[in-house]
Amino acid sequence: MRLTAGTMMTKDQLLKPLAELRGQSVVVTCMSVTRPWGTYSSSDLDFASADSAMGHTADLALGIALAQPQRKVICLNGDGSMLMTLGTLATVTAAGTKNFVLFVVQNDTYEITGNQEIPAAGRIDFPLLARGAGFRRVYYFEDPDLYRRTLPEMLSGEGPVFVAVRVEKGSEGPISRSVKEQSRYLRVSLAQSAHDLRKALTS
Amino acid sequence: MVCAKSVLEELKACGVTHVVGLADNSSAALMALLANDDSIRFIGVTREGEAFALASGLWIGGKTAVVVAQNTGFLESGDGLRGTAQRMRIPLVCLITYRGYEKMRRQSAKAEPRPWTIEEFSRADLDSAAIITEPTLNAWNVPFDFLETDADLPKIAKAFSRAERESRPVALLVTGDMR
Repeated sequence: MRLTAGTMMTKDQLLKPLAELRGQSVVVTCMSVTRPWGTYSSSDLDFASADSAMGHTADLALGIALAQPQRKVICLNGDGSMLMTLGTLATVTAAGTKNFVLFVVQNDTYEITGNQEIPAAGRIDFPLLARGAGFRRVYYFEDPDLYRRTLPEMLSGEGPVFVAVRVEKGSEGPISRSVKEQSRYLRVSLAQSAHDLRKALTS
Repeated sequence: MVCAKSVLEELKACGVTHVVGLADNSSAALMALLANDDSIRFIGVTREGEAFALASGLWIGGKTAVVVAQNTGFLESGDGLRGTAQRMRIPLVCLITYRGYEKMRRQSAKAEPRPWTIEEFSRADLDSAAIITEPTLNAWNVPFDFLETDADLPKIAKAFSRAERESRPVALLVTGDMR
């Protein structure tokens, strides 16, 4: 059985409403949404898990959430990245974090390396996996209007919250960290970015 | 063997807020103490690579974490360590329990230091996890020292000092089961 979507959202439909509502939340991005997020936000509380460890965005963001329990931490993970560390779903729920919102941006491909299909593309039921790992608040969206209307609810109340969003394949190329990048948070090194975020969160 | 209670006291003295990792026989005594300790929080992971990313996130958020992992799990953690704590220049101390250390030491005592042969990698009286632990730490540019007896406990504070001074991960190899 393929869980093929009838409709899909664009990245803009995913990110623009989130940028409008994120407030003082930390937002951690990776892979194909990294650059698009940078077009909507240039906050000191943005962090790109780019030029970093493969598949380790959700666990990194979880650490920030555990250290900053008074602040919401939103992680925009990729579907291929989530598959690399599926166990992190269990780590999140076991850690008992209440301020963590974990998105899986589901386009069924490794977009930045040329849209090769992820294993079991179209068959992976991420909401089911999240429920099975102990998430109690789980959402799934293909419809941008429903997503936009539900977003305030998802960003409020106790987590952890899991959100799978089916988006269209795009054509993002490999992410670099250099002054040539348009997004502010990609113009500095990973180390500089990590140290800057710590400063923003602790000063 | 080092005393788990003394290790825990040293970690507290170094300001540790979280221990992140996965239990094994050598760290079981420390994990048992952590389960009943209110001042340091233990965060369990499903695979050791997660521990380095999670501990890095804790540091970014203003906390001080220690990673506890067996050398087998450490070996699996390569990109997790490289792409988070190391690439981000995060001061992070890792306690790596050294499975197979005794067997290796007995064999090493019989011969001059040399590269291990492929036959030795599969010998039942040697643990290949042990024989590649130190070469891997060297290859990954992670400085390390040894926790063998209680006399080595001051090395914990020294590891924290070095990690902080040089903004890098530093490892301590725990050569026997904590008691």
